[in-house]
Amino acid sequence: MVNHGLVLDLIDRLGRIPAGSTVTLDVMSGTADAGEIADNIDMIATWCRASGNALVESRHDAVVVRHGRSPDTLAGLHPDQVPGTRLWMYTNFDCNLHCDYCCVSSSPQADRRALGADRVARLAEEAEPAGVRQLILTGGEPFLLPDIDELVASCTAHLPTTLLTNGMLFRGARLERLRRMDRERLTLQISLDSATPEQHDAHRGPHSWERAVAGIGLALDEGFDVKVAATLPAEQTHEVAPFKAFLGTLGIRPENQVIRAVAHQGAAHDGIELTVESLIPEVTITADGVWWHPVSATDASQFVRREIFPLADAIADVRRRFVRHREAADRAADWFPCS
Amino acid sequence: MIPASTVPRLIGSVAYSPNVVTVWEGMRAYFTGTDTPIDFVLFSNYGRLVDALIGGTVDLAWNTNLAYVRTLLQTKGACRALASRDTDVVFQSVFVSRAGTGFDGLEAVRGRRLALGSRDSAQAAILPLQYLHEAGIGDDDVTLMRIDSDVGKHGDTGRSELDALRAVLDDRADAAAIGVNTWQAITRGEIMTGAIESFWMSPEYSHCTFTALPALSTEWAEAWLADLFAMDWENPDHRAILELEGLRRWVPPNLDGYGSLIAAVAEQGIPDRW
Ligand code: SF4
Repeated sequence: MVNHGLVLDLIDRLGRIPAGSTVTLDVMSGTADAGEIADNIDMIATWCRASGNALVESRHDAVVVRHGRSPDTLAGLHPDQVPGTRLWMYTNFDCNLHCDYCCVSSSPQADRRALGADRVARLAEEAEPAGVRQLILTGGEPFLLPDIDELVASCTAHLPTTLLTNGMLFRGARLERLRRMDRERLTLQISLDSATPEQHDAHRGPHSWERAVAGIGLALDEGFDVKVAATLPAEQTHEVAPFKAFLGTLGIRPENQVIRAVAHQGAAHDGIELTVESLIPEVTITADGVWWHPVSATDASQFVRREIFPLADAIADVRRRFVRHREAADRAADWFPCS
Repeated sequence: MIPASTVPRLIGSVAYSPNVVTVWEGMRAYFTGTDTPIDFVLFSNYGRLVDALIGGTVDLAWNTNLAYVRTLLQTKGACRALASRDTDVVFQSVFVSRAGTGFDGLEAVRGRRLALGSRDSAQAAILPLQYLHEAGIGDDDVTLMRIDSDVGKHGDTGRSELDALRAVLDDRADAAAIGVNTWQAITRGEIMTGAIESFWMSPEYSHCTFTALPALSTEWAEAWLADLFAMDWENPDHRAILELEGLRRWVPPNLDGYGSLIAAVAEQGIPDRW
């Protein structure tokens, strides 16, 4: 039988502590019956929800309750970090490269798993009303898709858009598709890891550096805004001055130079450990559903839900989970910059 | 020379919860931005607070209903109630029992064990006894279990009421009298359904109120009240204070709501100071 006296104990103890502090309440109260303990926890949870106090943790034998509402986790974030400010879409998972650190294990052999023009169009349409301010298309290599220009057009029609690419496929029909894209609303983000070929090619394949540098030049000549993103082992992210100087000579503005650390995801054997507890979510959509973050869009532990639509619900779900994790962990998340 | 209006007036309050400092720091910050700045001083009990108001140490006292009635009696009616919380003008006492025990009104308490809160709590002791007396039930007609915790704080901590409820749950008492604020707190989410139920709710009466003596100028008091009533639940800074102090807005006091307590204090011979 549920022990109602626990709520009296809880109210009493909350009354003795300042708002914002927590109490740990023994929910076993002399019983070893698992069902009874679960009922006690349910009762406390119900009371907390209704009374504006926060159940921050529930263990097998005790609950931790914060006096008063938890601080507004989302309001505490920089506006740019609020989940759902950016919407990431994996257009496809196949790639002309097979980088050894690829966070989603893309390669020429990988299944395409295309998101498809219809879904991209609907996402772009629902994005702005759902509070999204920027769309980001990534893969795999998006330029492998025959309809990439259509996907981009449906995005740029609604919001500023960034398209991530390895920049190696700007030829023939693919170059024509690039040329059809909206230069006012689209930023191309091209991957390049080093100022000289060795390091880049060691991870991304022979001659890939040369072709990426050529792609950057072509995109700039075509009048596109180009960002360059480097993926480096964490220890190297502190020695980037020569690389940045090189990017300057290519014509890449300092604010368009992104340096990020390798994440331990996908094909990468090591790298920064990213978990839902330590990672501020970036709402990410793939053909399979909604994910916590683009760097972990194949990591089952970071799958959020299958239903993509309505997008506003998916974003609300990610935010809810984030607030829950934050409250439970109550520790600062490492922000893993992605674009 | 500092203009008179910028000299902060001193408000006295009793330290009945760890949040009191946060509340009054917030109030002080809010009034710093007005023409009626305030500072505050905390007392350990209402007896001291009323003494300080009458002695002129503080300009205003944040009084319970009992402290207000005390001040009224000691100043022969000269003090003024200025403002209350919205929750103070509709306060009630609630009689509760274990669910399903068939209590259906005050009369059912006759011959049973009734747990009361602190003897200086208007809502959990003084007024419940008054309502029983008015219903023709004398102190000898019930077995009273008085739970005198935190005497001096006029029941503000709610601790004695929680103890009275425990007594009912543990079958050490058949019924308990508590304040409506405690009743609302324990029934949030309807978690007490099937465990404890209320069987009688008192008429509404008035609870806490800011109390001043005639020495406080009416002009200043009016200006201060205008600022107080301007606190807005929709404003997050104000809301943080209002929420902690348990109100949505400040309202004028309801003086008629003190009649029952004035009668009870007289009839029960409640001492002048606790
Ligand atoms: S890191 Fe980018 S370019 Fe390399 S395999 Fe993955 S998707 Fe392709």
